[in-house]
Amino acid sequence: MMEHQEYQELMALHALDALEASDARAVDAHLEACARCRAELIELKDAAGLLAYGATPAEPRTELRAQILRSIRAAADEDRRGSRISAQVVPLSDWRQSRAWTTGLRIAASIAIVALLIGIVVLWRRALRLQREVADLSGQVDTQQLDLARNRDILAREREALALLTSPEAKRMELTGTTAAQNARATLVFDKQTGRAMLLTEGLPAAPPDKAYEVWFIPKGHSPMAGKVFTVDASGRAMVSDQMPPEARDNSVIAITLEPKRGSAAPTGAIYLSSPSS
Amino acid sequence: MQPDLSQIPDNALLHAIARGDQSALAACYDRYRVILFSIILRILNDRQEAEDCLQEVFLQVWRRARDFDEARGRAFTWLVTIARSRSLDRLRASGSRLRLATEAAQAPREDTGDAAEESVRSEEGALVRKALAELPEEQRRALLLAYFEGLTQTEIAARLGDPLGTVKTRMRSGMIKLRELLHGKVRR
Repeated sequence: MMEHQEYQELMALHALDALEASDARAVDAHLEACARCRAELIELKDAAGLLAYGATPAEPRTELRAQILRSIRAAADEDRRGSRISAQVVPLSDWRQSRAWTTGLRIAASIAIVALLIGIVVLWRRALRLQREVADLSGQVDTQQLDLARNRDILAREREALALLTSPEAKRMELTGTTAAQNARATLVFDKQTGRAMLLTEGLPAAPPDKAYEVWFIPKGHSPMAGKVFTVDASGRAMVSDQMPPEARDNSVIAITLEPKRGSAAPTGAIYLSSPSS
Repeated sequence: MQPDLSQIPDNALLHAIARGDQSALAACYDRYRVILFSIILRILNDRQEAEDCLQEVFLQVWRRARDFDEARGRAFTWLVTIARSRSLDRLRASGSRLRLATEAAQAPREDTGDAAEESVRSEEGALVRKALAELPEEQRRALLLAYFEGLTQTEIAARLGDPLGTVKTRMRSGMIKLRELLHGKVRR
């Protein structure tokens, strides 16, 4: 905020209309509150008016006087007609009032439009936020459903394993790691009657992305018969349920090899686990 | 009986015009045509355009005389302000400011010709012209640039190639001297 003194210094320039617009506005605002400055400005404007004498005196053409007085007469006649007409039609005050009304309505309409636009923007942003939240939630639901399915799967296999283990017909085979996976071991439990089998591994190295382990049933005197293709978790564990071919239920060797991801018809890769040959 | 309007004070003349007295306007024209035309011609620098503008000014005086309030300044100031604003508006509209670039910053000429015969204002005019002539050249130039070209302080500083602070100080000093003139010799 400027002090009174500073405004006073601007006043002479204001009287000459020589202030920049922003300064002029500040001075005008001060003038509304300061009677002393108002009085000062009046004097300074009178002083500025004297500068008119700085122009070289010049006479207009003599004919101009009559011309100007004619135009004044015409303007006076027009004003009289104009005021008669306006008296007949709408009283001036009513007209002003109605104009104030239209102005009021226009302002109200502008405000309404602005409010509407703000409302639309707010709703639009809220909708976007909700959309994002819905997407997040349905993503979470998908993940949970996936988890649930996985858990159900695990549970089913565990039940199966439990059923197999507790079955009186259950037979059990131990597989040991070869040189390719010395820490690996696995257990195969199977029902000799039904051929239902469950393989539990641990300590198998993670398969490369384009590879997977494959189970082979090798009955004595037969070529290997392909079982399930599987991968292991981080600790090398897997629980694989399979159906054992009847030929393999007696006296066969079980082996696990590393194969292309989709599995092979006959073993091609290195043997990782194997049951002792009987 | 028609009163002798040539003798009535400026304020009364404007009040008479405000009441729709066309002869008061004629008297106002006789009294003010020279000073108003001088301002307009100085600003517009074109006689034809200046005469058109003078006609506009008197039409405005006729229509707006009721706005004149002597509590807010001299009648002289009210009239010259209309002439100045109208001409500056025209100047800005026509963009003919360049024509003035050399003329406007010049000192007022001493020769006053036939127009100086104008009786009522000649005394005051002579006093002010003398005072203006006594102002330091750079003060006078800055004030006249503001008045006749409608330049702001910044534009004046740029035109004269002087620092803004210096220009402000000069203009203030010049204005103070003009105001002293009002307090002393010039009729309020």
